[in-house]
Amino acid sequence: MSRREGSLEDPQADSSISPLPHLEAKIRQTHSLARLLTKYAEQLLQEYVQHQGDPFGRPGFSPPRLPVAGLSAPAPGHAGLPAPERLRLDAAALTALPPLLDVVRRRQAELNPRAPRLLLRLEEAARQARALGAAVEAVLAALGADETRGPRPEPAVVATNAAAAAPDAGVFPAKVLGLRVCGLYREWVSRTEGDLGQLVPGGPA
Amino acid sequence: MPAGRSGPAAQSARRPPLLLPLLLLCVLGAPRAGSGAHMAVISPQDPTLLIGSSLQATCSVHGDPPGATAEGLYWTLNGRRLAPELSRVLNTSTLALALANLNGSRQQSGDNLVCHARDGSILAGSCLYVGLPPEKPFNISCWSKNMKDLTCRWTPGAHGETFLHTNYSLKYKLRWYGQDNTCEEYHTVGPHSCHIPKDLALFTPYEIWVEATNRLGSARSDVLTLDILDVVTTDPPPDVHVSRVGGLEDQLSVRWVSPPALKDFLFQAKYQIRYRVEDSVDWKVVDDVSNQTSCRLAGLKPGTVYFVQVRCNPFGIYGSKKAGIWSEWSHPTAASTPRSERPGPGGGACEPRGGEPSSGPVRRELKQFLGWLKKHAYCSNLSFRLYDQWRAWMQKTHKTRNQHRTRGSCPRADGARRERLPNHPVVAWSCGLQPSKSI
Repeated sequence: MSRREGSLEDPQADSSISPLPHLEAKIRQTHSLARLLTKYAEQLLQEYVQHQGDPFGRPGFSPPRLPVAGLSAPAPGHAGLPAPERLRLDAAALTALPPLLDVVRRRQAELNPRAPRLLLRLEEAARQARALGAAVEAVLAALGADETRGPRPEPAVVATNAAAAAPDAGVFPAKVLGLRVCGLYREWVSRTEGDLGQLVPGGPA
Repeated sequence: MPAGRSGPAAQSARRPPLLLPLLLLCVLGAPRAGSGAHMAVISPQDPTLLIGSSLQATCSVHGDPPGATAEGLYWTLNGRRLAPELSRVLNTSTLALALANLNGSRQQSGDNLVCHARDGSILAGSCLYVGLPPEKPFNISCWSKNMKDLTCRWTPGAHGETFLHTNYSLKYKLRWYGQDNTCEEYHTVGPHSCHIPKDLALFTPYEIWVEATNRLGSARSDVLTLDILDVVTTDPPPDVHVSRVGGLEDQLSVRWVSPPALKDFLFQAKYQIRYRVEDSVDWKVVDDVSNQTSCRLAGLKPGTVYFVQVRCNPFGIYGSKKAGIWSEWSHPTAASTPRSERPGPGGGACEPRGGEPSSGPVRRELKQFLGWLKKHAYCSNLSFRLYDQWRAWMQKTHKTRNQHRTRGSCPRADGARRERLPNHPVVAWSCGLQPSKSI
């Protein structure tokens, strides 16, 4: 990784009042949080597939990877982007996830009402995504790289606009959608962990 | 609390609004997935069926030609490929399926019936709900803790398993007036229970019943009518103390306080005590402790640790004629009986075979001995020789068989050696009694 991508040095900083220790601490903390949430996201996925029944969770199960409104998987070129851009994309995804996780939780409350642990994990995942997103934005602010790139449409607003003409959704598509959302949650949390790991002093370049 | 479910008629109408637009955008704007270009629709979508019934389903492929045909399509159910003979091609774009004698659903979210393209990619899915309508719940029992709340428990129908999510709703109303109310706090004391925490009336009967509903129908229990005052229970008695009674080796004193929550109400409390030896699982129950807050346990083993518990039944509150409901047992309290240093008749005494830990064998023997004395002796001077003679007599009449110990080294446990009885102090016999020749 180039110095440009992974460096924390700010040439404009006043060397007598170095913000670096504070920034490093913030990055470390956020990285630790992302690492923890990656583990939780994996557990959520396992719990989710268990309650949908076979073939969900079976090796080789591959439903259509249809895109979810307002959120897509990390692009193949994500790792080649500058660090601030990667973190911005991470923060945007983490902001888009909570309402999607809430939708999945509500649907699962109907399909699996006797699965309290699954429902609790989904609820916690939404909170965790919000928390990690806020932490990443704080890192971006500390890096001085938190300028927005124009208005981002809220996923809930996008969803609401298209509500009227939607056909009834069957149970199987709902299960697939929930799998997709849980998978996206895991991908983005893991991606965030990786991106922050490259910024941690002494971490992988 | 699990969400209530309505009957089958309404199931298709309930979908969360936010999910629908997500799927709309998926379907309308999705790039082609899987091996290419085709999507399909399974009919019926998410059917509900009785166990043992049959299902006719179709998978209709649509999408850009070429290749959008039913040829090569196949079905899986819960990940297992279905036998080809169950399928047939209806037309160029539709594959039909016939399933008979369906088993109950494997998971409550529905069995996954999936239509696959030739290359295995998923074209469409539908979830089957196969089960039974609920049976009538029964055996409703309720109790009120200190007249402040009401908890009810029930049994869910004779066979239990419906293979479908079945929602149970506890309803209640005042008997002669008032509207139906629904309990909201479920699973408080087990899977089929509910707790009503407040706003309960006394001196007027309630009607209580349980409604069970799933996709295939509903059932209602019989109505239970009760007055809160007739089903009152309370907390276990607090401050249970167990102590020795002076130097008495076979007794312990138990004291407790009446439950404070009901102290302001007129009631005749009943109490029960149970106790056991430290290393035993068998409790002995003292039943007739009525309206007292102390009791003396007797007939205990010397030098033994006992665990003691007390519980309370607050029957007769405000004149209720019903039996009342026992509280939970208090936390165990332990104490030990003293053991004297002098080896008396109880010292080294055998325990009866499988004998109850709280029965003193020597004490019981002496009691029998004294009873025998009244019949056979005409003086009051007692001696251990006389006692030995009596034991020999008892052996002859086979009455001491149950007092032998099966393990350990007590010589008296061995019937063959009982006559020797070594090391007993002997006092001269001074009363008129024929000495037994067995000594």
